Amino acid sequence: MRGDGTALPWHVVAVALAATSATVGLIWDVSWHRSIGRDTFWTPAHLALYLSGILGGGAGGWLVLKSTVAGAADAPTATPLWGLRGPLGAWTCVWGALAMLTSAPFDNWWHNAYGLDVKVLSPPHVLLGVGLKAINTGALLLVAALQNGTRTTPHRRLVWAYVYLAGMLVGSTTVDGVELTGLPNRWHNATFYEVAAASFPTVLVATARSARIPWSATLAAACYMGITLIMTWSLPLFPATPRLAPVYHPITHMVAAPFPLMLVAPAAGLDLLVRRFGRGRDGLLSAVGSVVFVALMLAAHWPFGAFLLSPYARNPLFGADQWGYSEVVNASRHEFWGVDTDPVTLPALGLSAVIAAAAIRIGLWLGDWVARVKR
Amino acid sequence: MAGRLGGARQAVAVAAIAVLASAHVGSPDTYFEGPAGPYAVRVIVRSPGVIPGRAEVTVRMLRADPVRRVLVLPIYGDPRAAALPPPEEARPVTADSTLFSTAVWLMRRGSYGLKVIVESADAAGSVIVPVTAVALRRLPPGTALAVVLVSLGALLYAGAVILVGAATQEAVLEPGAAPDRRRLRHARIARGVTAVVLALLVLAGCAWWHAIDVRYRTGLYRPVAAGVTVRSIEGARRLRLTPGGATRADRERPWTRLLPDHGHLMHLFLVADSSGDGFAHLHPLARDLTTFEASLPPLPAGRYKVYGDVVHDNGFAETLVAMAELGAAGGSDWRRSDPDDSWLEPAAAGDPTARAARLADGATMTWERDARPIVVNRDAPLAFTVTASNGRPAVLEPYLGMAGHLVLTSDDGAVFTHLHPAGTVPPAAQQAFEPRVHAGRPPFRHASAMLPALPGAVSFPYAFPKPGRYRLWVQVKRGGRVLTGAFRVTVEPRLRRI
Repeated sequence: MRGDGTALPWHVVAVALAATSATVGLIWDVSWHRSIGRDTFWTPAHLALYLSGILGGGAGGWLVLKSTVAGAADAPTATPLWGLRGPLGAWTCVWGALAMLTSAPFDNWWHNAYGLDVKVLSPPHVLLGVGLKAINTGALLLVAALQNGTRTTPHRRLVWAYVYLAGMLVGSTTVDGVELTGLPNRWHNATFYEVAAASFPTVLVATARSARIPWSATLAAACYMGITLIMTWSLPLFPATPRLAPVYHPITHMVAAPFPLMLVAPAAGLDLLVRRFGRGRDGLLSAVGSVVFVALMLAAHWPFGAFLLSPYARNPLFGADQWGYSEVVNASRHEFWGVDTDPVTLPALGLSAVIAAAAIRIGLWLGDWVARVKR
Repeated sequence: MAGRLGGARQAVAVAAIAVLASAHVGSPDTYFEGPAGPYAVRVIVRSPGVIPGRAEVTVRMLRADPVRRVLVLPIYGDPRAAALPPPEEARPVTADSTLFSTAVWLMRRGSYGLKVIVESADAAGSVIVPVTAVALRRLPPGTALAVVLVSLGALLYAGAVILVGAATQEAVLEPGAAPDRRRLRHARIARGVTAVVLALLVLAGCAWWHAIDVRYRTGLYRPVAAGVTVRSIEGARRLRLTPGGATRADRERPWTRLLPDHGHLMHLFLVADSSGDGFAHLHPLARDLTTFEASLPPLPAGRYKVYGDVVHDNGFAETLVAMAELGAAGGSDWRRSDPDDSWLEPAAAGDPTARAARLADGATMTWERDARPIVVNRDAPLAFTVTASNGRPAVLEPYLGMAGHLVLTSDDGAVFTHLHPAGTVPPAAQQAFEPRVHAGRPPFRHASAMLPALPGAVSFPYAFPKPGRYRLWVQVKRGGRVLTGAFRVTVEPRLRRI
């Protein structure tokens, strides 16, 4: 169970795979719905999500079982619940798997009651997302307990595993708001910055505060961007035929995942601030961090969004201008949407900053706590 | 004098709104019987009730043709959707070599044309079956599912509260250390705060769900509510009908150009509201895009349900519904708005509970069915023969291009359907899809005229969607005269297995 050795414990590998599978599965599922459309229990994207639940829940359950049976020998690192003992991260993984399990019949009934996934964001999908994030969070807690529990500097692999898992958590968070933030056409809307402010600073700041490596939030954001880019570049390599009518946009290959958000920019700013401010000035850090986060989001996405809508981005490298079969394509495909109804104004940016300040404050608090988790 | 010379005297002006369910009113499934090239098929499309949803499609070969495969290709009624997905293959149903089944996703609300393709080793044929894709119902959660979800939800809730408590109490302690009193107190506070916050989140989730549910139920498809006025002009009653009911949502519903079906933009039916047999099948003249007028036959006074069948230019067929109160008919002769207008003449109104109806020209229409009950959602034996007064099968002429028309309504008003021997499918809706699948081929010919029938016989493919009492009016044409037979039937609920 210790992280002092050179090899990662098997359960860390399992939960890291679970987190990866969740992020890949979510991105893949969005692309599947945009490319092929026909939804069954057995689509590869769905299998990836099931794998996440099985690996996360299975590893967590096994750790609980092992800790409980091991009794006193392993008990000091275990958190007791309902007469069973296990690391907090393992319990969190088990809880996440149970949430995923609950979402399955709920989602099935939802499709029968209201139709198939008219919107990505629905109550059963939220429950599924919470389950997937709980598994990812459980994985982070397992690694945190290992790296915090060691008396020496934790092994580099363990530290990197922690940063990587934080990156996967950022990745699955981006899918939550994909309808509002995914396409560059939205990057000149106030809603984009408000949703971003609510979604990302907490994980990034918590990572910056709890990881044992400099620039950890930046590295986590880079992990998210890396895995998304792999999906952006690899998905269009696979042939795909739309299976459902209407087909407004005939495609021959899987639709690329949209180019990732440029989160390395605000993450680097937050990393720098967290290091400079140190501990004890979290209120001020939240205030300054919120302005920096919004400013860097704006600086990164305003011009880059324009670039992604330009002809220069319509190539496999940037994967721009890729549309699902059921999306009615028109001249607005190369324009920013809703700039009249949802413009980026100073009050809107102010609101984004207020949201970001709260998110950063929560992230600092969580980061402090995770840095102390030992069981 | 004033009434005679003053032109219009409003005898009755009632525009009541019947809020009923589904296109064809309460009868969401689609039935087609006719040729698919050289093959005779019966196609039934079960509405999924939700959109996007999977419509169950069954194709029965009416002859023992050696079929290699049956395909179903969904075509959406929007010309912008130029490309077509690959067809679904209908698989043979076990132990029934003439029945094929598949499911087709209807992804958007509107009009779909299902192209049914039948292939054998040396021939292939196809036919378009139009389907209206509308959301009609919201499935309530079953008790078992509710128990499972509430149980698992309670477990998740309790688990989350306990996890947060453990995270505060033990997780940050050195291995082997026991939590002190302060930490125990903090853990209790954390559990309490988490319980409250989670409860608020659950309440917020429920409110969100409720909002989605209300929005969904508000958007469920309803037949178009219509306004009706009946005016008496020099003893002749004229009915004016316009789409748009009392609510703003009704008035703001889109209304597109209509396609003529059997040569008419609207088929208007008046049926007596309750026990009466009064019935008329009219074809109003369009005064403008949304105003339709027809001269009424001398129907008995009383309340009438009014149904107007129309087909929009994208192939979407729907029914306008209204109520009308008719005063006593004047003395003047009925001057038809359209030569194809018809009604149930008093001489023909006999005992509708009998299986034989005396028609206005002295012929007899017989409902050919045995004593077995008619059961909901099972193929109904809607076969009729017309016998001349000399006892020989009557020679029937096409009426509006069809061998016959059948209109049925349930006594509770929840079901209205207008059937042909080709089923529930309006030919105009079929024609709307023709250019997209038969470009460059010979023009569309209506399918029903191509299926041979016995002399003096007419039948209709259909299954009653609800149990209850129904009235049926069967119309045929003989000797240049439209004849209507009225019948009644009670449809039994699903038979229970003993």
